[in-house]
Amino acid sequence: MNVTRRTVLYGAGLSLLGARVGSAATNEIVFTSWGGTTQDAQKKAWADPFQKSSGIRVRMDGPTDYGKLKAMVDSGNVSWDVVDVEGDFAVAAAKQGLLEPIDFSVVDRTQLDPRFTSDHYVGSFYYSFVLGFNKTALGKEPKSWADLFDTKGFSGKRTFYKWSAPGVLEIALLADGVPADKLYPLDLDRAFKKLDTIKSDIVWWNGGAQSQQLLASGEAALGQFWNGRVFAVQKDQEGIGISWNQNLTAADLLVVPKGTKNKAEAMKFLAVATAAKPQADMAAATDYAPINTDAAKLLPANERATLPDQHTDGQINLDMNYWADHREDIGKRWYEWQAK
Amino acid sequence: MSTTAMAFPGNRAVTRRPRRVSGFWPTSPALALLIVFFVAPLLGLLLRSVLDPHPGLQNYAEVFASTTYLRIFMNTFIVATVVTTATLLLAFPVAWFLAVAPRRWASLLFAVIILSMWTNLLTRTYAWMVLLQRTGIINKTLMSWGVIAAPLPLINNLIGVTIGMTYIMLPFMVLPLQGTIRSLDPATFRAASLCGAGRLQVFTRVFVPLVASGIGAGVLMVFVMSLGYFVTPALLGGTSNMMLAELIAQLVQSLLNWGLAGAAALILLVVSLGIYAIQFRFFGIRAAGEVE
Repeated sequence: MNVTRRTVLYGAGLSLLGARVGSAATNEIVFTSWGGTTQDAQKKAWADPFQKSSGIRVRMDGPTDYGKLKAMVDSGNVSWDVVDVEGDFAVAAAKQGLLEPIDFSVVDRTQLDPRFTSDHYVGSFYYSFVLGFNKTALGKEPKSWADLFDTKGFSGKRTFYKWSAPGVLEIALLADGVPADKLYPLDLDRAFKKLDTIKSDIVWWNGGAQSQQLLASGEAALGQFWNGRVFAVQKDQEGIGISWNQNLTAADLLVVPKGTKNKAEAMKFLAVATAAKPQADMAAATDYAPINTDAAKLLPANERATLPDQHTDGQINLDMNYWADHREDIGKRWYEWQAK
Repeated sequence: MSTTAMAFPGNRAVTRRPRRVSGFWPTSPALALLIVFFVAPLLGLLLRSVLDPHPGLQNYAEVFASTTYLRIFMNTFIVATVVTTATLLLAFPVAWFLAVAPRRWASLLFAVIILSMWTNLLTRTYAWMVLLQRTGIINKTLMSWGVIAAPLPLINNLIGVTIGMTYIMLPFMVLPLQGTIRSLDPATFRAASLCGAGRLQVFTRVFVPLVASGIGAGVLMVFVMSLGYFVTPALLGGTSNMMLAELIAQLVQSLLNWGLAGAAALILLVVSLGIYAIQFRFFGIRAAGEVE
């Protein structure tokens, strides 16, 4: 998950030194994710029970690095068997032939949320971008994405995800009055024009930890956050609020890089990771939503209430297919606009 | 850091120089390692810049045609220049103190400098965030004292980047400087004074020229390191302070546009090597002149 993504990217130089030599033994697979508490939860909820039931050892690696994944597939020396990636990357990678097809005779597709399932990936967990705010610092509660752009009503800094990714542009358009069902294809000119109006009031966050720091301190008393991150701050601090109004969903997805020598074992792992109970355990540990439609039933009511799948009213799905086709063009414009 | 190596040339380079040639061979294991794990992959990336997605110079054309890249190149050099200057100004007195202070004090200060290098970079950068932000300790304190009415903009701009990076780069400037300063013979300054030079003259015409090689080494190291830096700028700077390395990392790891990344990396490398060559030549001659 991208929670610790940016922070761990900085360690990429180091991780190069630790690059694996040779391939994993047959009775072992390598699962790669983003590190931090998310991967700890994935280990506990998925890898440990899988190891017990199948006898196949699961080695943890990370952080996910798309450059590394591509290099492995290109060179035919694939040492990652299952990888947790972001939605738009999975769609793009499937188109580029970097992924093995999922074996749905092993993985039960009927229980999986169809929004996050395709021939080349299954969901890992899903989350929402929500409007998070610090009531203590603001003195009042913002209600909608439009409030993020209302610098008179809500003065001070607001924070957004720094990198070119699904989310910020959609928020700008929604705030500008574009109806949810007319979002795609994105009107980029309009989105950037809207963002221009608050550009000098934006503090960007690189990773989840930074977003929490900004919110908790009131440095940026409102902004766009991953729901799980706001919830974690809420547990520690009074006066932190969430507006689920038009929350934007995106999922992390599980993929199997093309050319892995442990394909059969990887599929068995996916079958366990996406099953109802392991998905419920994962959700309980992280406040991200399960992608197995039977998982929510297994959670106690109070835990379910904080999950994005309980806030589907007005919920908007970020369109990963659109993003997969345009991520490079949008990326270029995004950084050009930011650097201006 | 080879402080001792830097301390020696001033005194004994003349007698030691011939032995340097044979001194090359012990470095071969390190060189081999560098060639396999650094030079080869680097060449691979650079090759991609002319081969990916198809052979040609289109990646370079894209870099040079884009105002974004030019702006980010400019940012990178501005940040590196400002940081290097600030580091030099701060490091000079510290290096001086290290070289002339009583041994006990010097080693204590030395330990502080080295210890700070052992602390995780991200931790240190986050610490600066907590100090510098609008709701941070510095602004809150100043406001409660009534010194300022509104928070000073210390973060998400060039000021934040400069403070954070200068702090991180300080040891890389202090160490070569103090090595050079320590190797100086105090008698030189007495001689200059006896010949009628005032304090300022001793400093500008005797001291500074003598430590030029140390300054050169420190400036070069800090400048080149700053060019490739991005953790601290990413967290303490604003998006208008984006560094090239940050963008290259995005291209490689997220956008998978390795051709363009290779082109940007090569341009940065060529410019850095150019600066290195100029400085090396300049300070190389200076240092040689000292000895002969």
